Order: sequence, then C-alpha cells, then structure tokens
Amino acid sequence: MPTTGNSPDLSALERPPQVLNNRGPLWVTDAVCSIVEGKTPLWWYAAITVSGGFAAAGLACILYMIVTGVGVWGSDSPAFWAWDITNFIFWVSMAHAGSFISAVLFLTRQKWSLSVSRSAEAMTVFAIICAGVYPAIHIGRVWFVWFLFPVPNNYGMWPNFSSPLLWDVFAVSSYLTVSSLFWFAGMIPDLAVLRDRATTKIRKFCYGIAALGWLGTARQWRHYESMYVLLAGLTSVLVVTVTTIVASDCATSVVPGWHATIFPFYFMVGAVYSGSATVLTLLIPLRALYPQLKDLITPAQLEKVAMLLLMMASCVGYVYVYELFCAWYSGNGFERGAFWERFHGTAAWYAVTCLTINLTVPQLFWFKAVRRCLPLVFALAILCNVGMWFERFMIVTTSLLHDFLPSSWGNFHPSIVDILTATGTLGIFFTLYLLFIRFVPVMSMNELKAALPGAQPELGEGH
Amino acid sequence: MNRLPVAGSLAEPLHAVGARFDAPEALIAAVNGLRAAGYEAVDCYTPYPVHGLPEAMRLTKSLLSFLVLGGAVTAIGLALTMQLVPSALIYPLIVDGKPVDFSGLPQYVPITVALTLMLGALAAVTGMILLGGMPRLNHPMLAWDLFAKDASRGFFLAVRAAGGDFSAADAAELLLRLGGGDVTAIHLEEEPK
Repeated sequence: MPTTGNSPDLSALERPPQVLNNRGPLWVTDAVCSIVEGKTPLWWYAAITVSGGFAAAGLACILYMIVTGVGVWGSDSPAFWAWDITNFIFWVSMAHAGSFISAVLFLTRQKWSLSVSRSAEAMTVFAIICAGVYPAIHIGRVWFVWFLFPVPNNYGMWPNFSSPLLWDVFAVSSYLTVSSLFWFAGMIPDLAVLRDRATTKIRKFCYGIAALGWLGTARQWRHYESMYVLLAGLTSVLVVTVTTIVASDCATSVVPGWHATIFPFYFMVGAVYSGSATVLTLLIPLRALYPQLKDLITPAQLEKVAMLLLMMASCVGYVYVYELFCAWYSGNGFERGAFWERFHGTAAWYAVTCLTINLTVPQLFWFKAVRRCLPLVFALAILCNVGMWFERFMIVTTSLLHDFLPSSWGNFHPSIVDILTATGTLGIFFTLYLLFIRFVPVMSMNELKAALPGAQPELGEGH
Repeated sequence: MNRLPVAGSLAEPLHAVGARFDAPEALIAAVNGLRAAGYEAVDCYTPYPVHGLPEAMRLTKSLLSFLVLGGAVTAIGLALTMQLVPSALIYPLIVDGKPVDFSGLPQYVPITVALTLMLGALAAVTGMILLGGMPRLNHPMLAWDLFAKDASRGFFLAVRAAGGDFSAADAAELLLRLGGGDVTAIHLEEEPK
C-alpha cells in the first residue's frame, strides 16, 4: 500500500477488527470456553424444556403416523405432496447458508466469517437432520425405506437411477455426511483445548475421546490446514449441487409452476437467503445471552450477514418477477392458469404472504440504521424465514392444487399431526442447537487466534 | 542434581526436553537454532497453525490432496458401476424411453457427483486423522503438567531424545540459550521400547 505524504486518508477503507477491544488469544480461549465450562444458566434449562417438548410431540406424531398411515396428514388428492415436502425443502435449503458462510467465504478469504462459521455449520448439520425426518416418513410405509438404496434383494429389483427423487437420497445423505465431517473436523483442535482445561474426570474422558488425541504439532496442523481447504472446496460444490438436485425434484416434472429451468438457481438463492436469516436469528440472541461474545460476534459481522441476506433476497425477488413474466410470455394456457390461480384461487393467501414478505422485508436491509439495530434485525430475520416457508409451500403445494384436471382442483388443510410434526422439527433443531452451545465451543478458537493481530510472525510481503 | 534451571531429572529414559516460548517468532528462531546445532528430532506444539513454522521445520507438503483425489476417483468408479450395472445389465428400467446404458450417462451424473464429494470428504478427514498420528489415547508430552493443562497458552517445543549421542543436558542448555522458558525434562510414562 503506498504511504506517500500526500496520499488520501484511507482509514475509512480499513477493515473493521475481527475481535473488538484488542482482546488477546488468552482472552479468546477463556471467553469461548467459559460457555462450556461455566454453570448451566437457568434460561438454558427453560429453553431446552420447551424445545424438547416440541421435539417429543413431533416424534410422537411421527410414531402415530407410522403405526396409523399417512392418512393422518392433511395431504389429499391432488396435493399428495404438502407439508412433508414443503418442510423438507424448507429445512434442507436453510442448511445451505451454513455451508456458504463456512466454505465459500473461507475460500474467498472473508475473515469476517470466522466467528460465525462454526454456528453456521452447526445450523447446517441440524437443519439437514430436520430435513431428513421427512423423506423417509413421507413414503408412507417406512419399513420399505430400504427400497431407496441399491441393495441387492431377492425380488431382483433396483431403484430408478434416472429419477431425481433417487438423486435426492444420495444428495442429502452425502450433504449430511460432508457437512458433519466439516463441522467435526474443524472442531478437533478446539475440543483438545477443552480436554486440556477439563477439571473433572468425565469431561476429560469425553473431550479426550472427541479430540482424538490432538496435540497441535506442526505436522498435525500441516495436514489439518490442507484438509480444511480441501473440505471447504468439496463443501462449496455441495452448496450448488444439493439444491440443484432438490430443485430437479420439481423442475423435471411436467406440473405447471414446477417445470422451469430457473428452479436450481431459484432454490439456491432462496436457500442462502433463508439460511442467512437463520444465522442472524441464532447469533443475535447468543451474543445477548453470553455478553463475553460481544467482542467476538461484532455488529460489523452481523451486518455482513444481513447484506448477504439482502443480496440473496433480491435474487429471489428477481426470480418471482421472472417466473410471472415467463408464465405470461410462454403463451401456454396451463402455465398461465397455474400462476393466475396462485394469486386468485383458494390458496392465494400463501402466495400473497410469501411475496409481500420476501419482496419488502429484506429490502429494509438497504438502510444501515436497520442493519445496525440488532433487535430489529432479529425480528426481520424471523419474518424472512416465515416468508421463505410460505415460498416453499407456494411452490410445492399450490402448484399441485391446480393440476391439469379442473374437477380435482382443491385446497389443502393441514391436520393437527401435520402441524405438530412441523413444530416438532423446529423443536429438534433448537434442542440440538442448545446442546451445541452448551457442550462444544461455539466458535473456532484456533482460527480466531490465528487471525488476531500479531498472531503470525512477520514474513514480509505476500503473507 | 541438575546444575541447569531445568524441571525434572535429566536421567534416562527420557522422552524429550521441552520448553515453552511466548511468541511464534521465538519458536521459529528456536527451531532454526536447534537445526543449526544439529538437532533433527524437534516437535513443535502450537495453539494455531503458525505461518513459516513448517518451512523452518522442513516439513514436506501434506499428501492429503492425493488421498482425496484417490477417494474421489474411487467414488466415481463405484458410483458409475453401482448405477450402470443394475440399469444396463441386471434390471433395465426404461422410463419415458430414456436410454439406460452408456448413452444415457448424463442421468448418472448427479449421484456420481454426490458420492464423489462424500468419499472425497471421508478421505480428507480420515487422512488428516491418520497422517497426524491420531487417534491416540495418550502421549508422553501429556506427562508434562504445564503442557497438558495449558497447551493453548503458549508455543511449546520438544527436543526428542533420539540418536545415540543425545545429551539431555546439552539440549536443555541450548533451549535456555535460545530463550525457552520452563525448560523441562519429559519422561516416558510407559516402558521404553
């Protein structure tokens, strides 16, 4: 950087510090470990009771559905895919922002994402688990779920490898595997810190097993860094491929409202949009509940997440307009009819809610004052996810409600089992997240420490 | 009795002589100093990856990328076999008149990509664990209390007792001269091999 005497003032261009108040590496370790090592706060017990209750109710409903049959759901002709696939897409899409933040932003050296990436990865893993609840149970006879896998069997029968529904099985299971590995492997050095600091035998044993005997030797770090870059590369590909395959579930069919080539892009931007909203929903309360994290999760970083959300939401808005334009421009009666019905039929309020929220709420993030007001960002982020749920519902269910045979057009009414299963997945998600913040380091201590000023020896230009 | 300010007895059997440094620069300088004095069996323990340390220690590039490539290529082969053998040979399932053999290859791409990424990631993580000498339940270094409790608070270095002419006293003296703090003789917990 030129530092001549009459150069303009560049201070405005300086990146905001990664960690506020000049905190040192020891402080970072203590701050992050104190969440795990300290006494369990009362609110944690209260929160996990509520989320665990919802999760238990959801699991009970799933059990009830399995022993009774899918008739207990509201799904009926012509919409045989309703809340199950809506929620599946909602959850699996949400997961993508976590991979985007931790992998794509890592590869593009966006240092601001360091303190958010661990939580974002956790969100990814838990959201995929919630998504994974649905595909298996929505087939109705759960005990035949092994038909999805190419297992040699005495019927001599094999799955249809050209079906996007089968691609989904592989895409989602590989996504869960890779993101869990990415999350866990990134945590190994931090688990070793917890092991070293453990004061009780049980903690030492558990963290000792989880840390796999990590010591932080130069050789281990060499392989670790190599692995991290490789995993980030693999995960970045998944960000694109998994939503593309999920979008193909709809796009390769002939249903008007589904059959569109823009679907992979549509699903991907929607995915990162709703996931960014979830990251904000999770991190803003986290830093309020653990004030020591306020120097680590800075308003500047949350602002960046809000900007990411704004960008993706604007892409989503573009697709809404594009879809409507294409329906009109196609000249196809069925296509036009589907979109006309989407806004005029019995299920119009879903589409109206979706468009109203997703086209207006995120646009408020153009204003710095809004992005900097964290309680407002929190509220708006929740609203964005509500909007995204309605979008998934609008795509999946309202398209089916209006098929080629006018006599079978209908409406969808969720049953109580539908509703409790959906809130159950929310319960599972938050229960897992609460366990995560209580038992493992919520942010990558080693990455944060390595990025602190003065952490690396001066090696001259290029480092 | 040690004449040097060293914790622990320098008597054999010894795993290593360890020292603690406060800054990454000091650690790298110590590695260079030890190498200049002919010590090859040096281990460094840091709370985060320190730039320039692998070069100072003359570590070779990690082989991990080749393992990942191997995993990925294996996955491509397995995925295509898994899809093509049933589809083209055992149980041709013709839907919409789509070809099921090699000419229908594009439809096998999504599953192949998914499995390639999965096996690549598995190779990356298991490779990192195994190449890093893990998993292991214990390590002689953990017998050093200061290290076992506070490894995240400093930059540690250990000169292993390797080679016939290793002298713990000489190594300790050199470490002190290079600015190492808490110089300690670390003993093998288990029986020497």
